[in-house]
Amino acid sequence: MASHPTDEREGEGTVGTILRLKLHLMANIFRRNVWQAVGLGLGLLYGLGVAAAACIVLVFLRTVDAPAQLRDVLTVVGAIVVVGFAVVSLLFGVDDTLDPRKFALFGIPNRRLSISLAVAALLGAPGVALVFVMSSTVVTWSRGPGEIVIAIICALCAIATCVLVSRLAAGIAGLLLATRRARELTGVLAVLLFVVLSPGAAFFATLDWRHATWEVLSDLAAIVGWTPVGAAFAAPGDAASGNWGLATARCLIALATVALLWFGWERLVARMLVTPQREAASRNYRGVGWFDRTTNGPTGAIAARSLSYWLRDARYWMSLVMIPVVPVLVVIPLLLAGLGAQWLALVPVPFLAVFMGWSMHNDTAYDSTAIWLHIASGVRGVADRVGRVIPMLVAGVIVIGIGASVTGLVLNDWRAIPGLIGVSAAALFGSLGIGCYLSAQFPYPVSKPGDSPFQQPQSTGALMALVQVGVMLGTGIVALPAGVFLLLGVTTGVTSWHLIGLAAGTVGGLAVLAAGIWLGGRVFERRGPEILQAAIRA
Amino acid sequence: MVTPKPDAVTDDALPTELLEAPAPTPRVTTLAGTTVPSGAKQGSTTGRATKSRSGGASAARRPARNARTLRVARPAPGADAPEVLSIVGLSKHYGETVAVDSMTLSVKEGSFFGIVGPNGAGKTTTLSMVTGLLRPDTGTVTIHGLDAWTQPQAAKRQVGVLPDRLRLFDRLTGLQLLHYSGELRRLPNEQVRARSADLIQAFALEDAAHRLVADYSVGMTKKLALACAMIHSPRVLVLDEPFESVDPVSAANLTDILEKYVRAGGTVLLSSHSMDLIERVCDSVAIIIGGKLMAHGTLDEVRQGQTLEDRFVELAGGRQAAEGLEWLHSFTD
Repeated sequence: MASHPTDEREGEGTVGTILRLKLHLMANIFRRNVWQAVGLGLGLLYGLGVAAAACIVLVFLRTVDAPAQLRDVLTVVGAIVVVGFAVVSLLFGVDDTLDPRKFALFGIPNRRLSISLAVAALLGAPGVALVFVMSSTVVTWSRGPGEIVIAIICALCAIATCVLVSRLAAGIAGLLLATRRARELTGVLAVLLFVVLSPGAAFFATLDWRHATWEVLSDLAAIVGWTPVGAAFAAPGDAASGNWGLATARCLIALATVALLWFGWERLVARMLVTPQREAASRNYRGVGWFDRTTNGPTGAIAARSLSYWLRDARYWMSLVMIPVVPVLVVIPLLLAGLGAQWLALVPVPFLAVFMGWSMHNDTAYDSTAIWLHIASGVRGVADRVGRVIPMLVAGVIVIGIGASVTGLVLNDWRAIPGLIGVSAAALFGSLGIGCYLSAQFPYPVSKPGDSPFQQPQSTGALMALVQVGVMLGTGIVALPAGVFLLLGVTTGVTSWHLIGLAAGTVGGLAVLAAGIWLGGRVFERRGPEILQAAIRA
Repeated sequence: MVTPKPDAVTDDALPTELLEAPAPTPRVTTLAGTTVPSGAKQGSTTGRATKSRSGGASAARRPARNARTLRVARPAPGADAPEVLSIVGLSKHYGETVAVDSMTLSVKEGSFFGIVGPNGAGKTTTLSMVTGLLRPDTGTVTIHGLDAWTQPQAAKRQVGVLPDRLRLFDRLTGLQLLHYSGELRRLPNEQVRARSADLIQAFALEDAAHRLVADYSVGMTKKLALACAMIHSPRVLVLDEPFESVDPVSAANLTDILEKYVRAGGTVLLSSHSMDLIERVCDSVAIIIGGKLMAHGTLDEVRQGQTLEDRFVELAGGRQAAEGLEWLHSFTD
């Protein structure tokens, strides 16, 4: 690269051009519309606020005279940050604005492109925050000239490590996940990861932090400090503790890490430039599937289509996997808070019911622009709504039946079961009914068909929050009477309260469902073209 | 397009003989005696060749670059033919931008009507307002006597729609999507089955019928969408860019299907920016530029003795002189 002077100059030109491109791309996000810009601005402010707070804390830590402990904390936190950069890029990096493949046709020499893209990756909220935070660690460790030198080297290494790790992860994700099916698999993998990690999180939550913390932390830091993800954060602390041999060794590890990552990044860019998009092997299905098993006509067809999507579309799988996870997440804190078993057993089934109905609240948006077919065919609004509700309605009723039976078995007491069914039915029917109306009136953008379920569109913002709060509050109100009767029944021990609860919950829920279908159907017929336009804009 | 060369005859048994023939006329007669199809093909080829040659001769007096052949227009329905689609004063604004400016247009029953215009001229916007996918600011659309925006259910039953650049329910297989389209149109189950099978055969989608539409190529997706638009045997087909990305063989098949449909009294309204296609298949044309209707009527009325492309370029404000790109001819190494 340095052999020709002209080459050198052109190289700087490439870096500059790509940096400017990145700035333009960022600026254009703000141009899309006002609310999006406001949302993004708030997000940026929040991120920068967190970074600023971290900087202040780090500067303040300069005055703390416990270098070993400080080193342990920073090592563990730093390692988490590095891993975070990798994981986030792996999951979200599939549609990357600075994917090397987008530059394949410009014939830029590989090394120049690799440098440009890596530097450009620093631009952006995470990169800027990283630079500020790492600069602050230099202040933390400024306890002598030697320490400062090591801290500066390590801060640079840490920044380079984070950026390269994230670029590498995004690149690898782009290479491996180029096909539709593979992209969809990431969603499932991520959920699995989440499920596997939750026991770990629960373990940490139950740890006796007051006594064991420092021991756990220093043990962890001792190991992590020798790994590529932690060495750069541990070395300055070693130096400050007077452990110069250790500091030098870890500094070398950090430098070697950056060198290795750079080598990998350069090779990956070279590889990506000549690797075309992969073609997916497609699979054969026989017959017409669910269309054979539902009634003839629009309602049955829409139900069959909806059911096929629940089974084939990764975005729906996400909702499916979340349904059993959410009750567990609700039960754990209640368990920790020491709620009695006879109460705790009543919690999961209504929550299952709520989240099964919850899936309806933005169902129209999941069709994306394919909804034109319903509009151009003149499908009746009620047929559209009922067809969409059927899969979750049937599944929900089955789940409530099984769940209530299991609860009865666990409690070995069947008196409260009618009341429990009442609350669950109100929750299921209520959330479905409210969802029927809201999904026609206020569809908000979701990840598009074929994209990774984690790729949230940029323009969700306020509408999404409003709709979701609306569904939750509304469902709460519908289920409230039945809930009160259930409480009365359990506290007083009078069985008739439970029977009243069953009636109130079922009738109230069904009324809301019917109203939601009717109202949602009218809205769907009236607003058909506007729903399509919203899908096109999304 | 049609070359007078004998190798245009694609019968497997004959090409070498034809190429070697020193005097074609006697050989062809003997061939015509032995195999009927090759003789028929030969006849049709020479027939068309003569036509194009005479067209070329008449155009020779014009400047050289305009020496194009005029294709004979397909006969348009007569002036007394009933109107099946009428658009009156249709407008659509997006903020300050006028996408479609008080468009008035009528399409006669049994006509093969093409809308041409440059990119962004408002073709898709117009067709979307006709098919009920986009609400017009002002104006009316009447389909077979039914107002598309006050009696949408009845009007939509008359129309088959192929939109451009909208998704399909692509997690269904091709067969399922055909079923779905038929069921949404309230066809009885047996009819859905029979028609799906027919359409799959007619559109040569047998290999793809059981694969997910998400895995189709663009051209195949278009073919399937066109099949879906036809399943309820509509009176009018509104097709937005139906031949874009479709391979020539499939395009020829689709054209045949549409021609038969028109001959049986159906009406096709399609948009395209391919002048050649429109000139070949359509009997009536509308030219839209910048949201305004610049010309409409039968193909011959619109092109006024020029090719459609020349007429179109003229209406669009003439050709831009390709000057100032001299650097393009000194190549970078």
